[in-house]
Amino acid sequence: MRRTALLRIIYLLLLVFVASAALLPSLLGDVRTGLGPYASTVAPAAPSVGEKGTIVLGTSPDYPPYENVDAKKGGEIVGMDIDIAKFIAAQLGFKLEIAAMDFNGLIAALQTGRVDFVMSAMSVTEERKNNVDFSSTYYVARNTIVSRESEPYETSESLGGKIVGTQLGSTQDLYAQTLEGAELKKLNRIPDLIQELKTGRVHAVIVEDAVAVEMTAANPDLIMTFLPPGNSKDGYAIAFPKGSALVESFNGALEEMKASGQIDAIVDKWFATGREPQADSFLNLNFGILKGYIPYMLKGVYVTLLFTLVSAAFGFIWGTILSLFKISGIRPLEWFATAYTSILRGTPLLLQLFLIYYATPQLFQYDISPLMAAGLAFGLNSAAYLSETIRGGIMAVDKGQREAAMSLGIPYRTMMISIILPQAVRTILPALVNECVALLKESSLVSVIGVQDIMRRASVVQATEFRALEALLFAGVIYYVLVLVLTSLAHLLERRLRRSD
Amino acid sequence: MINVTELTKTFGKHQVLKGITTSVRKGEVVALIGPSGSGKSTFLRCLNLLETPTSGIITINDTELTNRHTNIGKVRQRIGMVFQHFHLFPHMTVMENITFAPRRVKGVPAGAARDKAIALLERVGLADKADSYPSRLSGGQKQRVAIARSLAMEPEIMLFDEPTSALDPEMVKEVLAVIQGLASTGMTMLIVTHEMKFAREAADTIYFLDDGRLVEKTPPAQFFEEPQSERAKRFLEKVL
Repeated sequence: MRRTALLRIIYLLLLVFVASAALLPSLLGDVRTGLGPYASTVAPAAPSVGEKGTIVLGTSPDYPPYENVDAKKGGEIVGMDIDIAKFIAAQLGFKLEIAAMDFNGLIAALQTGRVDFVMSAMSVTEERKNNVDFSSTYYVARNTIVSRESEPYETSESLGGKIVGTQLGSTQDLYAQTLEGAELKKLNRIPDLIQELKTGRVHAVIVEDAVAVEMTAANPDLIMTFLPPGNSKDGYAIAFPKGSALVESFNGALEEMKASGQIDAIVDKWFATGREPQADSFLNLNFGILKGYIPYMLKGVYVTLLFTLVSAAFGFIWGTILSLFKISGIRPLEWFATAYTSILRGTPLLLQLFLIYYATPQLFQYDISPLMAAGLAFGLNSAAYLSETIRGGIMAVDKGQREAAMSLGIPYRTMMISIILPQAVRTILPALVNECVALLKESSLVSVIGVQDIMRRASVVQATEFRALEALLFAGVIYYVLVLVLTSLAHLLERRLRRSD
Repeated sequence: MINVTELTKTFGKHQVLKGITTSVRKGEVVALIGPSGSGKSTFLRCLNLLETPTSGIITINDTELTNRHTNIGKVRQRIGMVFQHFHLFPHMTVMENITFAPRRVKGVPAGAARDKAIALLERVGLADKADSYPSRLSGGQKQRVAIARSLAMEPEIMLFDEPTSALDPEMVKEVLAVIQGLASTGMTMLIVTHEMKFAREAADTIYFLDDGRLVEKTPPAQFFEEPQSERAKRFLEKVL
């Protein structure tokens, strides 16, 4: 009797769970359209060239002037690569869609069919060639040493015995390995390099010409020295999935563009972009650069909040189901819930996030959107923790409450929902608030799969302005204010729930 | 009305009920007394299956509770139970405590459930507490609300499990008065109690349990004047 009732309540909760999962895409669809050009973040399921006449470009828009988010113009992705891609797509009669993602995810995106081609200032390496096909090169960049004006390094020889920063996996990273006696420090992003250089943790950094120009313009205390051009096969090329039919037609279009001078025109347009030198102020911070970016960064609040809400609600419902499994007295359910909790708590959240985002299209042929993947990963993870909290809360409710309800003939489901859970939730409310605060802050992890949350937007501003600290500090303030608001709301709720005491 | 045949209950290795056979007729008021650990409460809790009997048969109005196919929820609606520690729902007001089960289990309309609750609260003398939360009530008041909550389901049988044991002495009387009033309405009741005076005045029959057996089953006058068994005599010597 009790068991069938329990099964029924579990069944009901599962229904809610499935329904919310079904609603998720439409909810999240909202977010994407709310982001303007970032609507294109998500490629259509199994992109098929020709059929719809649309091709999807994958790029990591944090590398001006090749590609970056023009935050001041509503977040459009612009740059030299983008202009070339648009030109070729138009030549070949395709409609172009742009999918923004982390540079490290680009190859995976090609392999899983998430995008049709990648232009992201990507140079040709043997390793990459094993996994993707490349077009001919369209631009060759010069390696450039950037150092502090107060401690200049102007030749590659002078870097012997010094600490040299490079961007992990970049062509300059490979070049720097040939420097004799230099100790290399490899970082993920250009803004990180700038900060390391400015604080003196590295003596110099080696980046390519375009980046060096922007870095020195944004940071007047830095100087640059161009190194002689290297081998032309080290240039940038367009990447395709292995065996893509597009390679040939793209190569043809590139040749035409080179012959007609179109490529040079685009290069000139983007490299000529001057930048007014900015005066450094107190503590070498210049919050003036945030001007124009503030609305852009604040839009991330909506994404972060929605994301937190979705994963918290999902986590709570699924966590409740798991906690009921754990106290059900039905062996397989107990075993499942325990194993689930053990695995989800025992592996890093970041790993779960990557797995869900990258493995879902490959295993289930379903092109999961970044926000949905993130909501799922955080919800599943949070549920593992919450199931223990909720179980504790249910156990803490006086056994007599259950008996009183049973003696009144109240069915199991009604008893759980209206009598036991409200009392359990009241007991565990502080723990639930903790979980929400943690989720809100952990949500910054989603920036790694390209969701436009507060943290991701801060990175975009860092990358476009070539300044590391200001946007981060501003993001920190936003997070802190959000947590303050959240905790005050929780206090109000707690007071309301305690009115019966 | 209630028939119990060879009822046993075992917790682990400990046999708490060692075969109890009895029947209670409609309108009968039974007081269960006996030393602690004699199985009084367990017996009572078996009657609405809060404890599952190990063996034996319980039937209530021809419905066999111990049959696996019996809808126990339905049966429990007809059996009210009042606990030693009240077990009011702390997150609901007195009114919500009383109207919750009629509305959610029997589908009584809100207005009717409310009217009924007000009438019941008047009957237990707490009409002014309808909108209070249980935490604002004294023990005696809580127990009276608990009785009203049970009565709201219009049960045919009421079970009381030491209803005054957790109360301060000055509150015992108000609760016993309510129970006694209920007895006079012809309700079938089984009461586990340590209040000998009350048992003598209110009950039609005394069940004396000792070591899991129903040792004596006699009218109060006879039980208190001339107990049959040695064990009952010793028990009465201690408590009177």
